[in-house]
Amino acid sequence: MLNNLCFNKNVFNEVINNSGVRPPYNKVFNWAEALPKNIILKKQIQAENLFKKIGVTFSVYNNYDVSERLIPFDMFPRILTSLEWMKIQKGIKQRSIAINAFLTDVYHKAEIIKANLIPGKLIYKNPAYDIKMVGFNVPKNIYSPIIGTDIVRTDEKDFKVLEDNCRTPSGVSYMIENREIMMRMFPDLFESLNIESVDNYPSHLVDILKSLAPKKCNKDPNIVILTPGHLNSAYYEHSFLADLMGVELVQGTDLFVKDNITYMKTTQGPQRVDIIYRRIDDDYLDPLYYKSDSLLGVPGIINSYKTGNVNICSAPGAGLADDKAIYTFMPEIIKFYLGEEPILKNIKTWRCYNKTNLKYVISNLKNLVVKEVHGSGGYGMLIGSQASKKELKKFEKKVLNSPESFIAQPILELSTVPIFDKSKLSERHVDLRPFSLVGHKKFKLVSGALTRVALKKNSLIVNSSQGGGVKDTWVLSD
Amino acid sequence: MLSRTAENLYWTARYLERADSIARLLEVAYRISLIPNTQEGYNNEWESILATSGTKEDYLSSYKEIKKDKIEYFLIFDDRNSSSIKNCINKARENIKMVRTGVTLEVWNAVNSFFHSFEELIKRKYYSKDLPEIIDLVKRNVNLIKGTIINTQLLNDGFDFLILGNYFERADFTARIIDVKYFILLPSTSLIGKQVDNFQWSLMLRSVSSYRAFKWAYGNSEIDYIKIIDFLILNDKCPRSLYFSVEKINFHFNRLKKNYKQAGSISPKIENLFKKLRKLSVNDILEEGLHDFLINFIEDIADVYQDLERKYFIGT
Repeated sequence: MLNNLCFNKNVFNEVINNSGVRPPYNKVFNWAEALPKNIILKKQIQAENLFKKIGVTFSVYNNYDVSERLIPFDMFPRILTSLEWMKIQKGIKQRSIAINAFLTDVYHKAEIIKANLIPGKLIYKNPAYDIKMVGFNVPKNIYSPIIGTDIVRTDEKDFKVLEDNCRTPSGVSYMIENREIMMRMFPDLFESLNIESVDNYPSHLVDILKSLAPKKCNKDPNIVILTPGHLNSAYYEHSFLADLMGVELVQGTDLFVKDNITYMKTTQGPQRVDIIYRRIDDDYLDPLYYKSDSLLGVPGIINSYKTGNVNICSAPGAGLADDKAIYTFMPEIIKFYLGEEPILKNIKTWRCYNKTNLKYVISNLKNLVVKEVHGSGGYGMLIGSQASKKELKKFEKKVLNSPESFIAQPILELSTVPIFDKSKLSERHVDLRPFSLVGHKKFKLVSGALTRVALKKNSLIVNSSQGGGVKDTWVLSD
Repeated sequence: MLSRTAENLYWTARYLERADSIARLLEVAYRISLIPNTQEGYNNEWESILATSGTKEDYLSSYKEIKKDKIEYFLIFDDRNSSSIKNCINKARENIKMVRTGVTLEVWNAVNSFFHSFEELIKRKYYSKDLPEIIDLVKRNVNLIKGTIINTQLLNDGFDFLILGNYFERADFTARIIDVKYFILLPSTSLIGKQVDNFQWSLMLRSVSSYRAFKWAYGNSEIDYIKIIDFLILNDKCPRSLYFSVEKINFHFNRLKKNYKQAGSISPKIENLFKKLRKLSVNDILEEGLHDFLINFIEDIADVYQDLERKYFIGT
């Protein structure tokens, strides 16, 4: 059995290594090994039915149609010790504070550019940089209060940051629902292990948002979540959060602006809105400022924002900080604003706009992952080792045409955790996305995260839009 | 509550009631198809079902002839029919999906499970012999959802909008059923008291699920048109009567007004309609003309809906 589970010696297997089962997994591994085949299959069906019944789905688009899909859920949990978690927590806190300091700086004095630490053109020519935000003071200088940090593990000690998501990171509903379903299906596991709970995330989110009330709000702020609508891939999450936070879930058409004040339309007439947790992209926020044909947004909302009548979280232009070109500078950003060494390391990255880097990337294409700087969700990405010669050639051309649009990273051997493949355990690559919250003099991170898992053997792509699944993620308390 | 939420709740209930009504119509048609030697009556019946559901023109533009299994398919599954049961269920779920936070988990689960069990039917090829099973599934699920609403929802404004959607649809639908059949309700010298009358009348009662109820209300006396008109329009105990729907709509309008502490009338029209029906007798209706009475009623209900929309669904 152990041999089956450890097929690649270069990969860090989180459950089993040369000396046997790693301690945090002792109980769970024995439990999983002892589960009879028929129970495994039965529980898998039960889990799927629960997800279906609750309606935890995401939408997938192709050219013709939108279809609802269940995200595949695997019952073997991912486990982190409290010590491991402490490091992750410190690292994320440091990063989140640095990100907000960086955004405040680039939209004001731009000291970091003056100090020649980041080339100005990377910022000023970046599509995520919003010139309209220059000089505007966002409430409490928090541009990005809700951050999802993609972390990968490559060995016993090291957790590295793969990506920061500063705009509208999704997946937090899965973190909570996965736990809910595991607790329903295997209550005895939770009795025998001390697992930190994750269900206070929504109330933390309310707290954090409330600390970011706009200037002209002098009562308990009215918070809403702004969704593009029920066809959006993350709609379930939007309604889930609104429900647990006890706030209204609104669409653009539910809001209007009059005399720079934002209202929502209710059965009892207009009601003032103070804080908008928006889950729509910058471009669609306000047809008067951005895409004029957008039906998702609210005309006049940016004026309402700029006159201090409403806060929009995250701030327009905050996406600059999770751009992959900026990512490569994150160690410098942390040092510059906090005077500290980064606790969580970046992954070695080649910036293709740099000539020597570009040369290296082109001649080593088949050993690298090449990513589009502004892409996300696993789209527009090349994994050299898995690409055909034709694809490599095609990508080489793309990179040479517009080097500043690409970065390259080594092909990471992501750590593995087993899944139940039919009824047998089999190892698969995973990543980790904790969700942190930054408010006015507040930082919150629930002890849990979303573990995404590639369901295909040896695959490194964990994105749900590309067939990845999820696991419940446990942080053990001491 | 968001205006859109109110509107979504209203339409959720309205589409569910419509799916239920179509299922009941099909049930009646199915009964007829089991009775021999009624070829002419058979065609009439299927045509009138299309007329009642307001889909006759749509049907004829897609299919050439009145044919039982085609009509069944058209009313249950056809995408081209905006009121097919499938479309009603899809729209009901779409509406409730947009207001998931406005209903209890139990209500959402009930609607969602209905949607998924119906999806299973869609995947199969349709055979006429499956009709009773499908009708049963629809009726059972709609009743389950309504029961879940009553048992689990907080009796707040959202509840009012759900109930309003239900009774607006029912008022409209019952009026249409009676209107399509109004000629058989009126005494005609040649047919009075004949078997066919009795049969047609009993079918009509069945189509609004009130055959037994009628017997309870009027004992085992002969079915006659006076009693049926009284039962389906004026009876205050028959949950399918026009009076009953109007009373409910009026009641929930008043509840909304009271809970929202709003002054003035939301809809003078519904108040007048309610007062009028309370005093009306079958003879008054016959004097106005049954058909004219029903057409006026349908228009009045549409106007009352406008009042509701203006007051609560616009929101500015």
